[in-house]
Amino acid sequence: MKKTSDNNRQSDPLPGGNDRPAEGTNAGSGTPRSTEGMRLVSYLIICLASAGLFISAGTIPTSRWEVLGAGAYPQLVFGGLAVMTFFTAVTSLRKFGLSMFPAIATDAVLWLRSRHLVIWMFILFGAYILTIPLTGFEIATFAFLMASQLLLAPWTPRSFALIVAIAVIFSFGLNYLFAEVFNVFLPRGRL
Amino acid sequence: MEGAFQSALAQIFQIDTLVFMATGSVAGIVAAAIPGFTVTMAIVLTLPLTFAMEPLQGIAVMLAVYVGGYTGGLISAALLGIPGTPSSVATTFDAFPMARAGQPGRALSLGIWASFFGTVISTVVLVFAAPPLAIFAVRLGPWEYFSLIIFALTIVASLVGHSIMRGLIAGMLGLAIATVGSDPMMGVPRFDFGIQMLAPGISFLIVLIGIFAISQLMSEVEDVEALKSGQKLAEHDIELHTWTVMRAVLMRPVNLIRSSMVGVLVGALPGAGGSIANLLAYDQAKRASKTPEKFGTGIDDGVVASEAGNSATAGGGLIPMIALGIPGSAVDAILLASLMVHGIAIGPRLIMDNPDLVYGMFIAMVVSSLMMLVICILSMRLFLRVTEIPKWLIVPAVIVCCVVGSFALNNRVSDLYLLGMIGLVGYVLRSLDYPLAPLVLGVILGPIAETNLRRALMTDPDWTMFLTRPISLLFLVSAVLSVAWVVWKYDRNKKLKERQV
Repeated sequence: MKKTSDNNRQSDPLPGGNDRPAEGTNAGSGTPRSTEGMRLVSYLIICLASAGLFISAGTIPTSRWEVLGAGAYPQLVFGGLAVMTFFTAVTSLRKFGLSMFPAIATDAVLWLRSRHLVIWMFILFGAYILTIPLTGFEIATFAFLMASQLLLAPWTPRSFALIVAIAVIFSFGLNYLFAEVFNVFLPRGRL
Repeated sequence: MEGAFQSALAQIFQIDTLVFMATGSVAGIVAAAIPGFTVTMAIVLTLPLTFAMEPLQGIAVMLAVYVGGYTGGLISAALLGIPGTPSSVATTFDAFPMARAGQPGRALSLGIWASFFGTVISTVVLVFAAPPLAIFAVRLGPWEYFSLIIFALTIVASLVGHSIMRGLIAGMLGLAIATVGSDPMMGVPRFDFGIQMLAPGISFLIVLIGIFAISQLMSEVEDVEALKSGQKLAEHDIELHTWTVMRAVLMRPVNLIRSSMVGVLVGALPGAGGSIANLLAYDQAKRASKTPEKFGTGIDDGVVASEAGNSATAGGGLIPMIALGIPGSAVDAILLASLMVHGIAIGPRLIMDNPDLVYGMFIAMVVSSLMMLVICILSMRLFLRVTEIPKWLIVPAVIVCCVVGSFALNNRVSDLYLLGMIGLVGYVLRSLDYPLAPLVLGVILGPIAETNLRRALMTDPDWTMFLTRPISLLFLVSAVLSVAWVVWKYDRNKKLKERQV
């Protein structure tokens, strides 16, 4: 929860209010119109995916022993989700109009730019989990910790020493702890 | 019954259990003291470490983290004005001005004692409320259970976040994720698309770690300025005035009990939790006060109300979990998951089939709150140091802990790929202001809802049974009313704002 209390102090502290603080939300980036535009895209993606999975659930074979087959409940869920997101998308469109669409692309670029560290962290994280089966936990973790901390930390001799120490403790140290204390053997790697 | 209680007592008071609980309490306080790190995340990270423990030992450790975490949020709330967790938002209103006015020790001490008494009061309510509710719940059929889950999901969606529609969509997404893999009744494969890692289904623990830990950690590195700068919490020594403050808290019995009861009731409501309880308890204290104008200036009553309110949700949240098998919050869902990992059947029969476990949970709550109190009083100055740990150091290290935890669940590397994907989806949803708690509860409650729906229709194919059985109808009507209430409230707020403009 990064937001300061001042915003919350002004709000009506009752459940169900629309101005309550939400845990870790960042909806405030971008103008309301363009943020709503990005949400609209998410509604449409979820709507289309649910509609596809609703149809796919219809092909799941039914059992002779029960009224509902294995596909009936997913149909209920995906059908409900498709209808719900469709109506939310329509409501959103009626509220903001088609004019929001040009803002979406601009806002998406701004949104991505403001989160360049997050994008880099996701790239490093993706590379980390992909290399674990190849190099093993220790080397992959050491490399991930070095790279990610160097990306985030201010470059000073003290922070560099800390980075190396943390990388060693959380890669080789953690592997040793799990193997010797918990009898959990982390991936060794194929290379 | 007596035997079960004694067995639970013996298990909790084993030296290794107490040591693990003390460590958990410290971990909870430390985690929650760091702004941006929630109690939920601390519990998620503790979960894999409890796999090798006995069920009661594991859950006792997690309860120690839970209780410690609710208090830890107070540290940065009081000293920096930044709530360590969402459950300590209202604590900043009075504890921070008090600390700024030269009484940081008093602010912390008030919060610690209020948290302690809040937890104890909520545990007493839990001991008396859970067993009769469970006896009632055993009589519920699959119709009532299905309707109860619908009610739980709608109320979660309506209480969490800024928009009920996004809350409902998140809940439905959770239900949808739970349909991947073999169906819970006949084992028919569904939605695996020939991908081997989807065939066994998506483990809800992976969803929990991905949604609550990875997405939260990633959102912590958004602010480049905050990453590069450090801010100290306290510039001078802190004197806690332990016993004087304890008397000051006890001299406010009405505020203490009222705030604790607000916490218990809000905690027992599925979906609500500490983040709402502290604000509601603070609001109630302010309304009842003879000097409401002093609230927000740094008075004792404000700190007591907020901290007693948020800590009491711990016991309150356990009431539906123990009695009905319905987790009231994300943290309760993780506690429930830890029981399921140990092969313990959840639901109203839990208290009958595993009474020692349930009694053990009651005892663990009291022991945890005592531990939290002692640890906080003895080592508060030390804890203040942890708030100085920079984010650039802790975020990558905790990500590694998440990876280890996810791998340790099933020893499957493919779970790590799922973790990465769910973390990414969770981050995007979080950024677009979708509440994530309904999604996780949807993943946990989905298979239970499906099993009960299909079992009900196997017993009697008549769909109207959901509406003709009174308790089932009551839950369904309550579900509709909970949505209607939020929509009405939204409209009212909108009209009020328009009038003001």
